[in-house]
Amino acid sequence: MCTVQPLVPITLLVMILEILAFGLIAGFIGSLTGLGGGTVLIPLLTLFMGVSMAYAAGASLISTIATSSGAASAYIRDMITNVRIGMGLEISTTAGSVVGSLTAGYTYSHGLAWILYALFGAIVLFSLIPTAGRGRYEVPKPISPDATTRIFKLRGIYHDAALGRDVEYHGVRWWLGEIIMFFAGAISGLLGIGSGALKVLGMDWAMNLPMKVSTTTSNFMIGVTAATGSSIYWYLGYIQPALAALTAVGVLAGAMLGTRVLVRITNRQIRWIFLAILAFLGMEMLLRGLSMEGLLRVATTSEYAASAAFTAAAMGVLYAIYGRPGWHGRLS
Amino acid sequence: MAPAPEARGDPRTCADESEEDRGMDRLIGAALRYGVLTSIAFILAGLALLLARGGAADVLGTNSPLNTSTISPAAVASGLTSLDPLSMILLGLILLIATPVLRVALGIASFARERDWLYVLITSIVFVNLMIAIFVLPSALHL
Repeated sequence: MCTVQPLVPITLLVMILEILAFGLIAGFIGSLTGLGGGTVLIPLLTLFMGVSMAYAAGASLISTIATSSGAASAYIRDMITNVRIGMGLEISTTAGSVVGSLTAGYTYSHGLAWILYALFGAIVLFSLIPTAGRGRYEVPKPISPDATTRIFKLRGIYHDAALGRDVEYHGVRWWLGEIIMFFAGAISGLLGIGSGALKVLGMDWAMNLPMKVSTTTSNFMIGVTAATGSSIYWYLGYIQPALAALTAVGVLAGAMLGTRVLVRITNRQIRWIFLAILAFLGMEMLLRGLSMEGLLRVATTSEYAASAAFTAAAMGVLYAIYGRPGWHGRLS
Repeated sequence: MAPAPEARGDPRTCADESEEDRGMDRLIGAALRYGVLTSIAFILAGLALLLARGGAADVLGTNSPLNTSTISPAAVASGLTSLDPLSMILLGLILLIATPVLRVALGIASFARERDWLYVLITSIVFVNLMIAIFVLPSALHL
């Protein structure tokens, strides 16, 4: 008397494909930049699929582990990751992640999720500036080794396929790296992201490591940090199994694709593609957080328009300051 | 490790060391790769079973109240014996969380082989932090 129901309803199939596709995009960008998929995944899930921030954060942390472990097995082969530097900094990121995850638990249970939306947006936007600023240098200007360079053996060498030569480097200011990493870990636990932006900042700004070493080492560290946060999230109930599983599969596939591309493109190109997407999503999360709490009253369409306008303006300014060609003609 | 007989800076010494490192790196790379692959295999099998058996809408709903706080690891173990799709997905997720932990544990072994005791200590601290987050805190805080 009724029509034959397909085994899987169409709406459900569409939803599954949507989650997989978002995961794929997030994983691709995450692995190209060393920032982890979460920075892109959380806005996609919360803004465009109506997933709660807690579940999005849980799915993101799980996916972040998949990205990190999946890509790391390839990076180890390429010998770019500096395991000593990464492991040393993990002391702070894991400790920070414990603090951050427990704070997230408090925030969600007290109905303060809007703060996390706004904070997420703000953090993403702030990470634009240092990321754009370092776009000028493929390899950092050398700083003389300090005591921590010797004690913690912050040295390494890697072959840069894009530059076509071996790059020898050393890191400095280990202690400053550790301090930044504690905050990176705390943000990771609080927002459910790998917080690779802060990790890269800690390594390339504080420790003066080459961008490629920073991104790949950050990618390695992200997995350990996320494992710390997700085990606490597990008990807090922020991991929705099917959602987390689907995003993990999508993100992993995206990350593998990204890894293949990484060795071929230069640091500069990675950054500009990534910055534009980040600017939009960051602004959008910030506006959404503020409107949830009633601090801002605008229609969703004008919210998107505002974010798009902001992105165009921000990219214009950042490009004018940091993106002028000339020094880097070899690439064109 | 016996002191290298060759003069310092001899290229052969460096080559030998990096060869040894590479063996360990290969092991670590393989552990990560197979850890992730196994986990994804369980996840995909669980998802496929879920779709095949119907009732997927309840489990898949993006804001479904079903989450990890309502399912105990013991229930996952018993669910696996009856090929429960959800338990398979959860096992996949547990394995995924375990891969970085395994990677850190192998890191301790790797630095111990190189007789780099400072980094054995550092990596052990990271491992202890992980154990605190996974086992100590949840029971201590009754999460």
